[in-house]
Amino acid sequence: MTDTISRGVTVDRTGEAGAFGGELLTINFGPHHPSTHGVLRLIVDLDGEQVRRLKPVIGYLHTGIEKQMEALRWQQGVTVTDRHDYLSPPINNLAYALAVEKLMGVEVPPRANALRVIMSELTRLSSHLVWMGTSGLELGAMSMLMYCFRERDTILDMNEEISGFRMHTSYIRPGGVMADSTPRFLEMLDQFCRDMPGHVDEYEALLTNNPIWRSRTIGIGILSAEDAKVLGATGPMLRGSGVAWDLRRSMPYSGYENYDFEIATSDMCDCYGRYLVRIKEMRESIKILRQALDRLPDGPVNVDDRKMLPPPREELETSMEAVIHHFKLFTEGYSVPPGDVYVAVESGRGENGCYIASDGTHKPRRVKFRSASFVNLQALERMALNHFLADMVAIIGTADTVLGDCDR
Amino acid sequence: MISETLIVEKGVSAGDPWVTVDAPKVHEALAALKTEGYTLLVFLSCVDHLVDASRSWPARYEVVYQLRNMETREQLRLRTFIEGDPPHIDSVHDVFPPANWDERETYDMFGIVFDGHPELTRILMPDDWVGYPLRRDYPVGGEPVEFSEEHEMWQTAPDKA
Repeated sequence: MTDTISRGVTVDRTGEAGAFGGELLTINFGPHHPSTHGVLRLIVDLDGEQVRRLKPVIGYLHTGIEKQMEALRWQQGVTVTDRHDYLSPPINNLAYALAVEKLMGVEVPPRANALRVIMSELTRLSSHLVWMGTSGLELGAMSMLMYCFRERDTILDMNEEISGFRMHTSYIRPGGVMADSTPRFLEMLDQFCRDMPGHVDEYEALLTNNPIWRSRTIGIGILSAEDAKVLGATGPMLRGSGVAWDLRRSMPYSGYENYDFEIATSDMCDCYGRYLVRIKEMRESIKILRQALDRLPDGPVNVDDRKMLPPPREELETSMEAVIHHFKLFTEGYSVPPGDVYVAVESGRGENGCYIASDGTHKPRRVKFRSASFVNLQALERMALNHFLADMVAIIGTADTVLGDCDR
Repeated sequence: MISETLIVEKGVSAGDPWVTVDAPKVHEALAALKTEGYTLLVFLSCVDHLVDASRSWPARYEVVYQLRNMETREQLRLRTFIEGDPPHIDSVHDVFPPANWDERETYDMFGIVFDGHPELTRILMPDDWVGYPLRRDYPVGGEPVEFSEEHEMWQTAPDKA
């Protein structure tokens, strides 16, 4: 019997419900299950050990971020954007900053763009490292976590060096970035670009030909390219199904069109394919980092607009105008022209976008985050059906949803 | 582009092209746009224009559909305005499957009823929640804050909001 789970997406429900006398067994998976990467509850109908029906229940990590944004001034909102997809804060900042800048018609200087690209790629790497470490852990490759978190810690050290924060950096802001990079940061980045390719080889040595990893992922969680497109999947979920769609290349932003990199794709359509895509993406990210570091332009890192960004500290002592600007910015904030705008960036999980409607005041009228996890999770039923319950762990893992991002 | 009879108004906002259609025609317009190549519904959401002095709006709720053509990389925003308590609009989950959860979220947050949706229930808020949090008349401090000095000032029960 074939069944339609949404228009154009059909699944095969044939098979014998033998284990329980023809009855399906409904179990509750989560919300606090170590393999659900956050707080995700799944209601699963099982025939023996095979998944016949699956319904995700989300909302456990809902923090009202979109509502909070409406109560905060434009520059304050940045700190909140850090916290929805908590594995890639700078990329969330970037989506918000680009949207605000597009509404205001502001172009940031080249050095700011390069620093934004550097931070985005470092974040993509650290997000993929967390994904690989935890997914490996779930499928029995315990040592992956140690290796991956070792390099992730280096990235967090770099975050700390450039922004003062290890995780919620708030580094990318409307109008530019928080501060210029320090010489030590550039040294760390240079060393990182030298070391990291060898580390990726280490991960590959541990997993790529590992017979347990291969048998747990190859042929598991198949999502065909047509289904992925119909279900609106983005990121490694879509590229793992062989569709070369990457916003950095398809709809470039922040100067990504100037970097030489390849879109990682795999035609395997399964968990292993998504793993290969992420490994390839890590290598491409290192390439982008190296190019960005070698070509890092000199110059300012913020727009020269006193109505949007505060004056430098030393000006406050000599210029009355600077004091007025400073006072206005930190009491009232700046206002953004009326209108609405949507900007999408590619995060480690797929398309993270920011839709902003402004009514011309100093606070947004509406901020909506289009999160990749929220959309990709809808494809989970398609991938998990007719697989064993134990394989569902691999499937949730390689879908790489961050529930904070999903629930916002 | 969809037939001119469907379009009420069109324009460009900060570089993003948009069209407005009448609310009862949304399903028809989206189905037509899909056949024209706008195969991806990026997101669907709502903006509450309560007490917005910047412009005059035809109605309080604006439902926004962001569409993308994956071949030509063109984007288009389809907007429609609805009023009512609760406001009603046709579900488009049969045209764009990802709309399923987006519509549930918009119902959850704005109380917009999507007619024809297979299971229009709350998705992010608890099932027994009262009120629609992203409406502009729902206070930010709607959740009671215990041990708060400004207890009275903060606390507004959702049903009084």
